Amino acid sequence: MRIRDLSFQEREGENEVLLKALLKNHPRCHTVTMIQLTATPASALVDEPVHIRATGLTPFQIVLLQASLEDEMGNMFHSQAYYRANEVGEVDLEHASSLGGDYVGVHPMGLFWSLKPEKILTRLLKRDVMNSPFRVQLKLYNSNVILINKATAAPIVSLTLERWYVAPGVTRIQVREGRLRGALFLPPGEGRFPGVIDLFGSIGGLIEFRASLLASHGFAALALAYCDYEDLPCPLEKVDLEYFEEAANFLLRHPKVFGPGIGVVSICKGAEIGLSMAIHLKQVRATVLINGPNFIFDAPQVYRGQIYQPLPHSPQLLSISALGLFEFRHIFEEARVEANQTSFLPIEKAQGHFLFIVGEEDKNINSKAHAEQATEQLRRNGKNNWTLLSYPGAGHLIYPPYSPLCCASKLSNFHFFIHWGGEVIPHAAAQEHSWKEIQKFLRKHLIPVVTSQL
Amino acid sequence: MIQLTATPASALMDEPVHIRVTGLPPLQTVTLMASLKDEKGNLYQSKAFYKANQAGKLDLEQDPALGGDYVGVHPMGLFWAMKSERPFGRLIKHDVMNSPFWVTLELYDSVCFQDSVTIEPRARQTVQRWFSVPEVQRVQIREGRVRGALFLPPGAGPFPGIIDLFGGIGGLVEFRASLLAARGFAMLALAYFAYEDLPEQLQEVDLDYFEEAANLLLAHPKIQKPGIGVLSTSKGAEIGLAMACYLKQVVATVWINGTNAVFEFPLKYRDMVMKPIPSFLERMQMDISGAVRLRHYKGDPREKLNQQSVLPVEKARGPILFIISGDDECFNSRQYAEQALDQLRSHGRSSGRMLVYPGAGHLLETPHGPSCYASWSYSLSAPILWGGDRVAHGAAQEHSWAEIQKFFRRHLILTRGKF
Repeated sequence: MRIRDLSFQEREGENEVLLKALLKNHPRCHTVTMIQLTATPASALVDEPVHIRATGLTPFQIVLLQASLEDEMGNMFHSQAYYRANEVGEVDLEHASSLGGDYVGVHPMGLFWSLKPEKILTRLLKRDVMNSPFRVQLKLYNSNVILINKATAAPIVSLTLERWYVAPGVTRIQVREGRLRGALFLPPGEGRFPGVIDLFGSIGGLIEFRASLLASHGFAALALAYCDYEDLPCPLEKVDLEYFEEAANFLLRHPKVFGPGIGVVSICKGAEIGLSMAIHLKQVRATVLINGPNFIFDAPQVYRGQIYQPLPHSPQLLSISALGLFEFRHIFEEARVEANQTSFLPIEKAQGHFLFIVGEEDKNINSKAHAEQATEQLRRNGKNNWTLLSYPGAGHLIYPPYSPLCCASKLSNFHFFIHWGGEVIPHAAAQEHSWKEIQKFLRKHLIPVVTSQL
Repeated sequence: MIQLTATPASALMDEPVHIRVTGLPPLQTVTLMASLKDEKGNLYQSKAFYKANQAGKLDLEQDPALGGDYVGVHPMGLFWAMKSERPFGRLIKHDVMNSPFWVTLELYDSVCFQDSVTIEPRARQTVQRWFSVPEVQRVQIREGRVRGALFLPPGAGPFPGIIDLFGGIGGLVEFRASLLAARGFAMLALAYFAYEDLPEQLQEVDLDYFEEAANLLLAHPKIQKPGIGVLSTSKGAEIGLAMACYLKQVVATVWINGTNAVFEFPLKYRDMVMKPIPSFLERMQMDISGAVRLRHYKGDPREKLNQQSVLPVEKARGPILFIISGDDECFNSRQYAEQALDQLRSHGRSSGRMLVYPGAGHLLETPHGPSCYASWSYSLSAPILWGGDRVAHGAAQEHSWAEIQKFFRRHLILTRGKF
């Protein structure tokens, strides 16, 4: 990764005032310390941590650190935290504890994952992953500036960071083969890479940012759309597993992908599909299921002439939160209790390995219950090809690290906000931990033992 | 034929309503929706999904909600679960004498998600929720420095007198006083800033002003002597506790989610000045909703350096009832009350009592009112987080309302007069 050390602009006026104040307080001080704000690396992948430090402050001075970002649609996101400088006038976010603001405690990346939209409940989502980064502006203020979203006072010092969704050298290929629609991301360099299909949920369209990041970490990642994109159906009336089989074969045929198996990383509705792929397609060797069901819901599935019906839902079991957000978590409870075994996906038939990622505060899907039922089914069939990672306080949208928590959003075809759930701090920790685990899991099961690097 | 009944159709806000439906198909799932428009036209709404029994009947006193804004058996759930359509709205009745809130109840014979429903309800009823009765007399008060409204119960009296104090919202909030007057108490809703010619912003707490108000109340021919009560919330409760400590006119105090020490502004009384404990701006926290959590922002009255700001509760003459919400995101209510009670005990006083409501939020007000999770504060230009789980908060408002009246009847009624 390119590393640029200091990239800051000093506001001379403010600094002069501060210098005078410093001199006033330290009359015997002959060398004047300038306030500096550093953040390294200044340009990096979005899932890489940044080390933020402020130096040259008055000892024990309280300062406000603010981060701002403008997304591709012009929506602004902000975060803030108050820190107290130590006895030598430094704040090092790897050690210093935030006193207040958007988070408290020691959280070196807190300013990133606590970013909040100006327009309530707007989701931060990068659409163009190749050509531009998100630019995050970091600003340092005197603490007598009250919590603000819009800068009415000038910061003492500020700098801009670049947060990229691709590493240099990653290539993107638009996929329009047969029925397939998506984007294939290939890591740089010669040779072959383990193949992964990346599936999102009911948001529809083509979401590329996780696949581009996986490619940045050495996987040939196919971001696959299946509804509401180009000529794909919308709404989704049925899930045709043969479409996903085509995608698996397409990936395996590619000269830069080494087989004989591929992985799947999937969330929500995508995880229902991911689980079904693992069951029906022996090419699928490693499946990551993030907050998904162990049954079919909404649309039926078809595969080679067989139709699999969805589990019915009970709309009256919808809960509405204090802020008017819709929680769907319980709507399958009646059907699950009354259903017999055949209504659940026969996970024991899958030949590959599973990594279940569960957010215990998921308000959209009763993720923990579904994952536990699925792993129980595996146990009963004498299988131990799975790992379940359950994260207290994490919500539905467990994304790559440092993504701000989106606790609710409006999907295009609905008139209400869906509550995804999650508490900011544990959700951030879950994203950080699970992302590492997902990569470890995929490498372990897709790269032959002899040459695996962890 | 589907029938929706809600009785009584017209009642005081603190009275329960019995909602029933008959004539439904057996085991039909239905949506019950309640809506109300406040005096500014802001909409508040709630909905819950129920299932009729075999006989096609529904009785909210027995049947559980399966989903929606609450689950379980909550006869008044549709009222306290109402949410502001405009984010961070807070429902307050301004004209308490001449008009009620009209709550419209609607029944749909399916599960309805949408707020702006395009299908017609199968049945509709409107109930009136009043904040007083016509026999209560409201008197605008503008005497000396005192600004407020006095609510006198019907009858000859004399009645126990109570000063009613709200908090940082400022202005004159009358709805609690008018309701308690309908329950037999003479209530002086007292403003102390941001009202008429009172200071626009609170800069200091001048206890002499509150003593003037207490004397004014006691001088009224319909008010029982020799002492009055104080009912106070939030910043008002800090003032109420100070009144209990320093004013001999105060003989019974209810303190709801307040503080036990002087904060933000100095407290003055005659020639005494108590300095406030400092607050720490940097300890304000932002909730994911964008509302500000203030509970950690104030300094600690247990610290040695802050002792001269702690209110001398041992000097209070009468009993004090501390009402605390367990989920108060604005004040560290429980900690303050516990310190005050410890202080009373260490001086051999047993006049303090605590009621803790787990899950309730900061704004513990009258029963059946919508619980407010966060609302706009103009001084902060951001919404303030109050906290509270709706179900627990609803139950707490109902229970504490009865306790407040019991407390004042016990400690203010000196004769065997009944009403």
